Amino acid sequence: MKTIGIAYRVIGKQRPGIVSRGFKYGQVLSGGMLALAHGTNDAQKTMGIITLALIANGSLGAGADPPFWVIASSAAAIAAGTYSGGWRIIKTTGTRIIKMDAAQGFTSQGAGAAVILASTHFGFPLSTTHVINGGVMGAGAAKRLSAVRWGVAGNIVVAWVLTLPAAAIIGAVTYAVTSLFGSGAVGPILVTVAALGAILAAFVRRAQRGAPVTVQSG
Amino acid sequence: MPVLAEIVETKELLQTVVFAFVAGMGVTVIFSVGIWGVARFVDLNQEDRSVAAAAAAGVAVLALLAVLAAMVIGIVVMTGK
Repeated sequence: MKTIGIAYRVIGKQRPGIVSRGFKYGQVLSGGMLALAHGTNDAQKTMGIITLALIANGSLGAGADPPFWVIASSAAAIAAGTYSGGWRIIKTTGTRIIKMDAAQGFTSQGAGAAVILASTHFGFPLSTTHVINGGVMGAGAAKRLSAVRWGVAGNIVVAWVLTLPAAAIIGAVTYAVTSLFGSGAVGPILVTVAALGAILAAFVRRAQRGAPVTVQSG
Repeated sequence: MPVLAEIVETKELLQTVVFAFVAGMGVTVIFSVGIWGVARFVDLNQEDRSVAAAAAAGVAVLALLAVLAAMVIGIVVMTGK
């Protein structure tokens, strides 16, 4: 919030055209940094969990680095997920929380990249979505509190709060179900098949509802 | 509370907050100064005040170089293991 306030003070009396164009060019840099930051934090969490499972199973020694196939599959999965489902998130973050100008875009991207890169450096996993949404809300609120659509922001905050216990409950239920089938591979295979079936059903249902949100339609 | 203090890596968390605050704020403010320099350069150049325009251009170049340097440092240092 403070950052965008100072930025507005610095460039406030200058020509809007030059300022807007300058921040648009800057957004290319800040967007690139945010993409890099996203890559340094998000895929690593998946790699960590798979590697931990491999170590717990005895497939890897304690303290082993993630195998190449884990790195490649995690990177591919996160790239595919961003490509296929990203537009809905982009639409919410970019247009629904605030009516964003170029300076706010640059500031929120820059702040998000700084937070994520610093966290990566110190080894803290965090949600890149939460970080950038927080940055967007701050950039909007600093201009004018009423500039933020607090209803949308509230939904995001509720989702943040629910994420942790929901994930914990799903993890506990999954472990309980797999435990019913002993310590072999039957339980995990059944749960995986059921999860894939649920994902497929959700995908078919979504496809039947209509075309996904794209950059043209969004 | 002492147990919580042992579990939570307070020092590293605080360092993360400070580093992120300084980097995020610093880069944005310096970039804003760069844009200010470019805008002033255009205005002063149109007013035929070449010395002041050159000074504004200098500020813009220095600020933009500082932003690029900060980005390189961010990539090299922050992602370094």
